[in-house]
Amino acid sequence: MVAAKKTKKTHESINNRLALVMKSGKYTLRYKTVLKSLRNSKGKLIIIANNCPPLRKSEIEYYAMLCKVGVHHYNGNNVDLGTACGKYFRVCCLSIIDPGDSDIIKSMPGDH
Amino acid sequence: MVKILKPNKAVIVLQGRYAGRKAVIVKSFDDGKRDRPYGHCLVIRKDSAKKTAKKSRVKCFVKLVNYQHLMPTRYTLDVDLKDTVTVDALQTKDKKVATCKTIKQRMEERFKTGKNRWFFTKLRF
Repeated sequence: MVAAKKTKKTHESINNRLALVMKSGKYTLRYKTVLKSLRNSKGKLIIIANNCPPLRKSEIEYYAMLCKVGVHHYNGNNVDLGTACGKYFRVCCLSIIDPGDSDIIKSMPGDH
Repeated sequence: MVKILKPNKAVIVLQGRYAGRKAVIVKSFDDGKRDRPYGHCLVIRKDSAKKTAKKSRVKCFVKLVNYQHLMPTRYTLDVDLKDTVTVDALQTKDKKVATCKTIKQRMEERFKTGKNRWFFTKLRF
């Protein structure tokens, strides 16, 4: 995967941006709703944890490719992603529908 | 964000009796969250031994399917079926059979011209 070296700094910034989206924007968590948001083309950015099962990961990526929506592979597993969303459960994929005040959409898409 | 489940999109049916079959979306209803693919089951017996016209049969079905039970693909199939396949075609059995017949003809024509080859090959799984 073409990934820039994920330093601690950029990782923190993704977390910050995610926290901002959680507070101010709209998002959906977890696989079923992510697919739904892709199907009715509401999702703007998809974030997938790194221990997402590969079949599911490729399915989401395929849908996102069809919708021309960016996919971001989060540098952490679903436990970390859940924590980053401020939730007490594991989240393996999430879809950002409306970023609110965050600039996550503008800064992330270059980063596959 | 491009809408992906548009008419003429080729799609694979995931659940139900027609699971594993390829289908084409004829009309999509976003609110009632269903759409109407109709499609093409197997291509039965493409007879390559015959030198003359290849025999091939296409079985068609028309169905209203929930989006959740479909997998969209990057292929499209442009056949104009909007006039033949309508909602009332699904109301009664004979109408359904009649539309299936017309669809079958169109599909077979399309198959014979050799276009959309992906659509007319069986999905192997």
